[in-house]
Amino acid sequence: MKHRKSGNHFPGLFPMLVAYLLVTTLANLPQSVFAADFDPDDLAGKVVVLDFWASWCVPCRRSFPWLNTMHDRYADDGLVIVGVNLDLDRAEAERFLSEFPASFRIEYDEPKALAKRFEVIAMPSSYLIGRDGKILEQHLGFKERKQAEYEAAIVSALGQTGSDDE
Amino acid sequence: MKKRNTQSVSTALAAATCTLLGSGAPVPVQAQEDPAWNFNTALLYYGEDNSRVNDYSFSILANRLFVDDRVLSMGLTLDTLTGATPNGAIRQDVPQTFTRPSGNAVYTVPAGELPLDDTFHDTRAALTVGWEQPLGRLWKGGVGFSGSKEFDYLHLGINGNIARDFNKRNTTLSAGVSLSRDTWDPVGGAPIPFAPMLDVGATGNKLGTENKDILDIVLGVTQVVSRRMIVQLNYSFSDNSGYLTDPYKFLSLVDGATGDTLTRTPAPGAAGPSHEFRFENRPQARTKHSLYGQTKYYMNGKVLDASYRYMTDDWEIDSHTVDVRLRWPLGESSYLEPHFRFYTQTAADFYRISLVDGVELPAYASSDYRLGEFDATTAGLKFGWKTGSGNEMSVRVETYQQNGTIPPQLLIGNQIGRETYPDLDALIVQFSYRFSR
Amino acid sequence: MNRTRLGFVALIATMACGCASMGVEPWERDILAKDEMQLTTDPIEAGTDDHIYFSKEASSGGRGFGGGGCGCN
Repeated sequence: MKHRKSGNHFPGLFPMLVAYLLVTTLANLPQSVFAADFDPDDLAGKVVVLDFWASWCVPCRRSFPWLNTMHDRYADDGLVIVGVNLDLDRAEAERFLSEFPASFRIEYDEPKALAKRFEVIAMPSSYLIGRDGKILEQHLGFKERKQAEYEAAIVSALGQTGSDDE
Repeated sequence: MKKRNTQSVSTALAAATCTLLGSGAPVPVQAQEDPAWNFNTALLYYGEDNSRVNDYSFSILANRLFVDDRVLSMGLTLDTLTGATPNGAIRQDVPQTFTRPSGNAVYTVPAGELPLDDTFHDTRAALTVGWEQPLGRLWKGGVGFSGSKEFDYLHLGINGNIARDFNKRNTTLSAGVSLSRDTWDPVGGAPIPFAPMLDVGATGNKLGTENKDILDIVLGVTQVVSRRMIVQLNYSFSDNSGYLTDPYKFLSLVDGATGDTLTRTPAPGAAGPSHEFRFENRPQARTKHSLYGQTKYYMNGKVLDASYRYMTDDWEIDSHTVDVRLRWPLGESSYLEPHFRFYTQTAADFYRISLVDGVELPAYASSDYRLGEFDATTAGLKFGWKTGSGNEMSVRVETYQQNGTIPPQLLIGNQIGRETYPDLDALIVQFSYRFSR
Repeated sequence: MNRTRLGFVALIATMACGCASMGVEPWERDILAKDEMQLTTDPIEAGTDDHIYFSKEASSGGRGFGGGGCGCN
């Protein structure tokens, strides 16, 4: 299924990811966000855009059409966009998504563990993670005039080969 | 009373643009794009009792939003003023006749009444334009222009501001500066300080146009205290120089024993003042310092807005202002907002009721009640609601009252008991409408 | 003398750190992002009031700008 609507289709996966990341924080942090022995079905070997957003954040709303476009354009090439919602009230996030639907995957970081692990200091924040699991770019805020730049970075990351060839 | 446009409108505008940058403004459901324009319009009525000033005004503030938090703001205000204002003379037990500022006619005030001049039927237009944009991720800056025109007054000003965020945007330091050049072109010309009021047609007591320069600097800190509370502290400095006198106000020249105004007779065949009056004179410079603190506190849907301002200047005026508002939501789409403001000021050191004949003139003197010692209270209620299309309307009704004291040492002879501070009672009604396109 | 100076510096540093840690995380700005939580909620009303009080009293201004809000971008 190419177009994933909001909602968590793999309920166990995301908390596993969070738990994993919490554990690795205590250990000596590996360079890779996703260690070689952790193999979530759909994240290994993919280029991941991790985007932290909230319903009350105006630039977040502006970034959604662009994220949807990126998903439509590059999902087949191995791009996975994960919109990590940081609303304190989940109902607000769901109301937002019914007005501004996302074609990409949405996760809810209620304990804010992922936000703290990534040291989110701005809303929105997005991280471009390469096929090898390394963080390639961090963007604080969303600037419409930088869309071409962001897209070029995604394309370049998609061009890399990771530990798994596609 | 003349209303002056000041940089405070541009400052309010600057505040407006910063407000928009930080707010999650409501957007119509069907639009995937942010609205490009935000409009804020208002109709205001201000009316004082006892046939004093009445003012009707229309304001519009338009913000054009550009990509990435850049905003062009434009404001226009039109207002029209009618009614009478105290001219500075004291009451007498006999009728008093005054020459109008134009020098072309006279007007008479009945015995026992506070002398009011109703010459002023004026229309004012004020315009502000501003541009605000981010400068890098943590900096923000803006520039603006303001201008206003009345029949006898022109204001031109420019302003600039800059702000920088710290601590994950929990702390913001801001600085603003504005410069104004205002020009008085009073009806009949600006009077020579302390010159006597002359008969109709005599012009020997007048100068031409006069200028006033104002420099304002504001430094501020805004701090997020908690998820529900934010605090702002500002220091303001204001330097005014040039013609700071009110060209239409004067003082009565009184007898040192009785306190009654000296009488005079106009020249044969001419109309003119029935008593002796001297035009006022204020210093050519004024420096003001203010400290302002404000907090907004969210309590389960209700928002408390409380502020305090202390002002002190080199005219010996000190003032305190406390302003409290509580926004009380009624359901999802309307609110009630009671408002209370208390203001108190001390008199300027050159404030006096009258000039005494035969005594050396002071350097400066004014009997303008706005430089006197008084308390003022505002009490009001605002009701706001969202319309079906998501736009906002509101209505507010407020009363504004001034109650002043004349220090006993300023009263002489018959003035005691007869002269009282011209207390003011005014009604403010405003209707406003906000919409986006 | 040295110890007092050191103590003073430590005090300022503590205060500075205290101020540095006051506040909320970027994702906790939901309430502050609301229209009614901005420092100037109604710019026209603020401008009108400033004008009325400037005309009737001897003080003016004081209000500032900047800060608060959602803290986005």
